[in-house]
Amino acid sequence: MTIAVARDGGRSSTARYSPQVIVLIALLCVGVIPPFVFLAYSSLHELDPSGAFGVFTFGHFAAIFSSRTFNSVIVNSAVYSLGSALLALVIGAAQAWLAERTDAALRQVLYVSSIVSLGIPYVLYIVAWILFFGKAGPVNATLQQMFGGTEPYINVYSLGGMIFVEGMLWSPLAFLLLSPVFRNSDASFEEAASICGAGLFSTLRYVTLGMARPALLALGLLVFIKASESFEVPALVGLPGSTRVLTSTIYQRLTLDMPPDVGSASAFGVLLLVVMAVLLQIYSRVAAQAHRYQTVTGKGFRPRVIRLGRWRYAAGALIVAIPFIVVIVPLATILWAALLPYYQPFSLKAVPLLGFGNFVQVLNSPSFRGSIVNSLVLGASTATLVTALSAVAGWCVARRVAGSRLLDGLAALPLVFPAIVLGLAFLEIFVHAGSRLYGSLLSLVVVSIVAYIPYGLRYAQLGVIQIHPELEEAAAIAGARQPRTFIRVVLPLLIPALISCWLFVFLLAVRAVSLMLLLAGPDSQVVAVTLFDFWNNGQVGELAALGCVWTAIMTVFCVAFLVVARRYQLPIG
Amino acid sequence: MLHVENLTKLYAPGESGGGIRGLSFDVTAGEFYTLLGPSGCGKTTTLRSVAGLEEPSAGRMTIADQVIFDAAKGIFVPANHRRLGMVFQSYAVWPHMSVFDNAAFPLRMLPGKQWGDADIRRLAMRTLETVGLAEFAPRSAAQLSGGQQQRLALARALVAEPSLLLLDEPLSNLDALLREQMRSELRRLQKEVGVTAVYVTHDQSEALALSDRIAIMRNGRIVQIGTPYQIYHQPRNAFVATFVGRSNLFRGKLLERNNGHARIATALGPVLCQAPNDVGGPPPAAALIRPEHVVLTAAGAGDSASNRFRGRVFQMSFLGEATEYVVQVGKVEILVRSMAGQYAGSEDVEVYFPPDKTLAVAADEI
Repeated sequence: MTIAVARDGGRSSTARYSPQVIVLIALLCVGVIPPFVFLAYSSLHELDPSGAFGVFTFGHFAAIFSSRTFNSVIVNSAVYSLGSALLALVIGAAQAWLAERTDAALRQVLYVSSIVSLGIPYVLYIVAWILFFGKAGPVNATLQQMFGGTEPYINVYSLGGMIFVEGMLWSPLAFLLLSPVFRNSDASFEEAASICGAGLFSTLRYVTLGMARPALLALGLLVFIKASESFEVPALVGLPGSTRVLTSTIYQRLTLDMPPDVGSASAFGVLLLVVMAVLLQIYSRVAAQAHRYQTVTGKGFRPRVIRLGRWRYAAGALIVAIPFIVVIVPLATILWAALLPYYQPFSLKAVPLLGFGNFVQVLNSPSFRGSIVNSLVLGASTATLVTALSAVAGWCVARRVAGSRLLDGLAALPLVFPAIVLGLAFLEIFVHAGSRLYGSLLSLVVVSIVAYIPYGLRYAQLGVIQIHPELEEAAAIAGARQPRTFIRVVLPLLIPALISCWLFVFLLAVRAVSLMLLLAGPDSQVVAVTLFDFWNNGQVGELAALGCVWTAIMTVFCVAFLVVARRYQLPIG
Repeated sequence: MLHVENLTKLYAPGESGGGIRGLSFDVTAGEFYTLLGPSGCGKTTTLRSVAGLEEPSAGRMTIADQVIFDAAKGIFVPANHRRLGMVFQSYAVWPHMSVFDNAAFPLRMLPGKQWGDADIRRLAMRTLETVGLAEFAPRSAAQLSGGQQQRLALARALVAEPSLLLLDEPLSNLDALLREQMRSELRRLQKEVGVTAVYVTHDQSEALALSDRIAIMRNGRIVQIGTPYQIYHQPRNAFVATFVGRSNLFRGKLLERNNGHARIATALGPVLCQAPNDVGGPPPAAALIRPEHVVLTAAGAGDSASNRFRGRVFQMSFLGEATEYVVQVGKVEILVRSMAGQYAGSEDVEVYFPPDKTLAVAADEI
């Protein structure tokens, strides 16, 4: 059982696929192809009352395009994605510039806060902002006190509110991805601008940002894509204010319409798939150019650190203010909500009511504890299986064995599915073809594996690329054959990448809301979905308490992930 | 044009090199002035201090009688207000802009919109023509070769007609042939434009070929200032003598000195040399003769009183335009560069040091 080790460019199309590759391709096909098929089928067929597929029809698509609200949904989606991308980019870039290119005080705070914020579940984060800016929240209360009146000044349930929260959500990632861009730039480019007469702002505008433009564009596009496929903000912030985008429309068709309009939801799903496919194509081209202007010369260069002089402490104050706003305020709001028996706006009168009642309830309740256990099991099994598959598949792709292109392509396909659409597709699969699986924790694991295989593969692939092929060739010459070489030589060296991979997939799987929302049943409640349900039922206190406990657990995993990724120089995004 | 007085910038104790102490020199208008020295001597620190990219801890600097730095009075004019041109070692050509935009940048940065668009275009194109890059103007600067980038960096430095042009080892990244070409280009351009230039290099042949005056630096201080001829033929001490050009240096003790001559006792024997009547400096303690001045003849009777020594050819290298020999006199090896004759290895020969070509120099200062 040998796998031909082919070097760069030495791919022979006549070589036979090895058994490992055939098995992997078969597994991927089973996991990745059916969602496309079922989604497309449901969008083009009527659904009988019994749930079986009926006649072929374009009616679903026709209904969508002719609907009154279609234009506003498309416009909302575009504005929402664009606005969030711009906001995340501006905040992230400002933080990255301050941290890497100035001597502003307290720069380390930015890194710490970004790490912490990655551990906060999205639902919790969004709820915190809704409470903060809500009708009964402290912001409106303060504004009402200052300017009078009883109507709230800020309506968080609006497109503006959606853009704000989603932008805030992605700004830590933007910061972490832009820091290397500002770090890896030779000082002489900006010194040259200075000599040519450019002041601080001209240098920033024409040189620093000019050279960072490819990376900024790639990042902006990435956030645009993430926002386009996001669900939590449109559902929690948009729907109450009747602002609909593509993802929340799908959810609405399935849960709020009676009976559920599966055909229409599927048609929207297909539409969204096409949009995502186009965006991802554009992104892969833009991302290839992203680091065009970065230099890492061997001459002991340093990037130019701007001495801010008197402005150091003002900048330091700004640095502290950003994470304060992005992280501390939401956490404090949640903590406040967690400690009160029922939610009230912040006031001194409520202080005597503070207590740990909600926490006691959460930790004692078997169903909440069950959620936590389910989430951990879901995360761990998904991560383990994805990592195992990715290790082998990643090696095959990195070493360019016969069939690796097909493997790579198949593994990348799930990226095209927004989570809610993938959830919908699997819902249809389970209803029509695997009804015993429906509602079980196993079904959630299966869906997660399909959804996160692309990420796992990327980590494993990068890890294998860092291992020079000569190490394996040396083993081959010494007489070892596969899989012995893989187990004895590759795997030990791959461990840091696999640990990163495991932790990253784990964090993705436990945070997923929309993926699980349509599939989780009473036996398979996970924390993310439980939090979502709490909000819809108005159980703010329980939500906050469970959220706090969960955040604490997740932060441990996040820190572990970041430590490993930094140490072995693996990507974080 | 440039007046530097008592410039000092020290890095943390223990940090290797680069600091300067009490540096003073003047550059006259239109001059090509070179700071020459080994790595870590502080020449780049000096250049960057003049540019405003580093702030010294003590000293004073003026350009065209305008104070740009005065530590005692707390004056520090930032780099972008000094109206200088600078060519960096890595060129620092901006890859995301076109060749034209690179060249036009300083004009666009002039305060108060001094030039309109048409004028900017005219001036930038004219400067690009001068360096031979006019046809590349619309192209992206990232597409230029190393030599072209260097010319673009030069154009950018000159376009706003600065009072001073600073060059930080601009030729060191080029291959040998290109370096020769660019060297003469640079010289021609500087004379044509008439701009005062301060040039930093560790390559002594470059310094000799390009400069009107050279300041040799070592360990943060200036050791000697002079024209290339003076530096080469009248080195102040052994360090300068061995750093610039090749030399035969014989350390020893001063036996006597009078009337511009000196006699130094060396391992070869007493050597008669020229000794400039330099009353202020340390006494000469070494004899120096350049390889091309040593006269090599067939063996005769070595008469040490008149700088003749008997030796044996140890090594011979035929260079085409000359032949180099290593001649052993006793335990001492002498490098000889000769155009006449061919002496084979182990042949007995006689070397003669003409006293007017032999120089008495001070030993190194610590």
